[in-house]
Amino acid sequence: MKERFKVQSLRPELRPRVSKFKVLIFILLLFTIHYSLFTIAEAKVYIDISSPAFKKLPIAIQEFSGPSGKEISDIIRNDLEFTGLFFYIDRNAYLENPSQPFNPKNWTPLGVETLVKGSVQEGKDFSVTMSLYDVFEGKEIFKKEYKAEREFIRPLSHAIANDIYYTLTGETGIFRSRISFVAEDKDKMGIYIMDWDGSRITSMGLKGNIILSPRWSRDGAKLIYSTERNRQWGIYLLDFKSMSERKVFSAKGTNMVGDFLPEGNDITFSSSKNGTPDLYIMSLSNNQIIKLTSSYGIEVSPAVSPDGKYIAFVSDRGGSPQIYIMRRNGSDVKRITFEGSYNTSPSWSPKGDRIVFVSRRGTNQIFTVRPDGSGLTQLTTVRNNEDPSFSPDERYITFSSDRDGVKGIYIMRANGEYQKRISPKNLRASGPRWAPN
Amino acid sequence: MKKTFVLVSLVLLVFGLILAGCPSRKVVQPEIEQRPTVTPKETTQKAAEVKPEEKITEQRLAKIETKEETPKYIEERGLFGDIQFDYDKYDIRPDAKPILQNVASYLLKNAVAKILVEGHCDERGTNEYNLALGDRRAKAARDYLIALGIASNRIEMLSYGEEKPLCKESAEECWAKNRRAHFVILKEAGK
Repeated sequence: MKERFKVQSLRPELRPRVSKFKVLIFILLLFTIHYSLFTIAEAKVYIDISSPAFKKLPIAIQEFSGPSGKEISDIIRNDLEFTGLFFYIDRNAYLENPSQPFNPKNWTPLGVETLVKGSVQEGKDFSVTMSLYDVFEGKEIFKKEYKAEREFIRPLSHAIANDIYYTLTGETGIFRSRISFVAEDKDKMGIYIMDWDGSRITSMGLKGNIILSPRWSRDGAKLIYSTERNRQWGIYLLDFKSMSERKVFSAKGTNMVGDFLPEGNDITFSSSKNGTPDLYIMSLSNNQIIKLTSSYGIEVSPAVSPDGKYIAFVSDRGGSPQIYIMRRNGSDVKRITFEGSYNTSPSWSPKGDRIVFVSRRGTNQIFTVRPDGSGLTQLTTVRNNEDPSFSPDERYITFSSDRDGVKGIYIMRANGEYQKRISPKNLRASGPRWAPN
Repeated sequence: MKKTFVLVSLVLLVFGLILAGCPSRKVVQPEIEQRPTVTPKETTQKAAEVKPEEKITEQRLAKIETKEETPKYIEERGLFGDIQFDYDKYDIRPDAKPILQNVASYLLKNAVAKILVEGHCDERGTNEYNLALGDRRAKAARDYLIALGIASNRIEMLSYGEEKPLCKESAEECWAKNRRAHFVILKEAGK
């Protein structure tokens, strides 16, 4: 008797009297409902980012109707195209007008699978409605209204792109993120911030004779940087909440700031105040300093892992500058670069699975490696490329390069594809860091 | 009654399966395997759900003025030549020693004078490591002057890495000039 009800053997409440046939129908119905709910729910994913050989999703982005509609849709297009996940079908091919309602029959012949349409209302401020359509299923899958003051047309467009990206991939987009960098500002150097695509370059007004690449705190509310002013290297903190700068550390010698620790209140830095450049941790709340390394040689560029447990750094203790990893308390030092005689500038990926750095092979090139030293991969080949750091979703890397003559800021996909300059050609810029949010 | 209980517990099990199944991603192929058996009306109702309206705004960045600090010293330049270093090295070369002797003699004659040693590199490394290298070059020069009898508190050090080159050509002749330590006499401001 019991074998007939094997499936329900886990369910002691079941009465053996229920007919096998009815039970099978019931289970079949449940499975059907399970799968149907699975396909109806917003959990439908159009692009599987983690799959190694996915097909690019064919997308059409119609020019938004209304004032500034073209500008908005062009920004969205640039954002989505840069990801490398979409195959954009050009507007020249479209059969439907922006003012016409969505009809899948206008899109399937073009091979379009997802479609973005939007409209901008007349008015002092922006009021934009965006609709995202699944052409194959012939239905609208996302609709939202966005409001913004006129000056925020770019963040608004990027917010729309982020929503499209999230709906189709299940991942948070980085289109509203910004990059900080250092550039010449008249006779000095200054700190700048720009959008990730190179727009809206803004000088923060902070200056120094020399400024080294500022580092963001994990919450994006602070920037910390080292600058030489008046013949002394100091470490300064820029607080976005109060829009003010304060000196955090100064001593004789060369003082260069590293990353924040994840909790946000401690910083790592290197200083030669005791003779040779060594690594330190300092608390911003009580100014207490702990020394992490004490070798005879050079120890610089501390980079903290995302979980705060490890610090990657550069040391010449082996005779040439190489990258090492140690525990946060300075113990358990392991070398991780073994090819090339000059490896510097380490920076962690946000998930902690890779370190991007510079290796000098004649000229300076950008490489990634796993924290255990395996998986060495070269990403650039031409001229000099330095100061690499990852985007918050670790799909892109920003760096500086002199390949166009004047050193400028570039971005590329994390596999080295699609390397593109984003700072203007007449601006000597370096030290880019992607803000965490 | 029991049958209802069974039905409810099985439905709960299914929901559990759904929640467990959500994180797994599937690439949507044009030929979808499982077609919903629910009515199209239910489908479109779910899909057309409008998200709440979002106001996009951000912090307007204001410029921050750097506090100007008054310099402690007035600098006198050009009294001494630069000493040069080999590529990636911070050892004092034999051709540097006469210049260092000159600096030491001056300081011994002018007991009040202080000196600043700048360390520099050529452009070929990366900025931070070059700053450390420039630091070591300045220190090497300073250590040599101390060995010649100059008190350590009369010698200041500062590294500029590759940031202040004398020349900008990408050639060995220029690079060799940039790999240097440079000496500046410091006189206290206001005296």
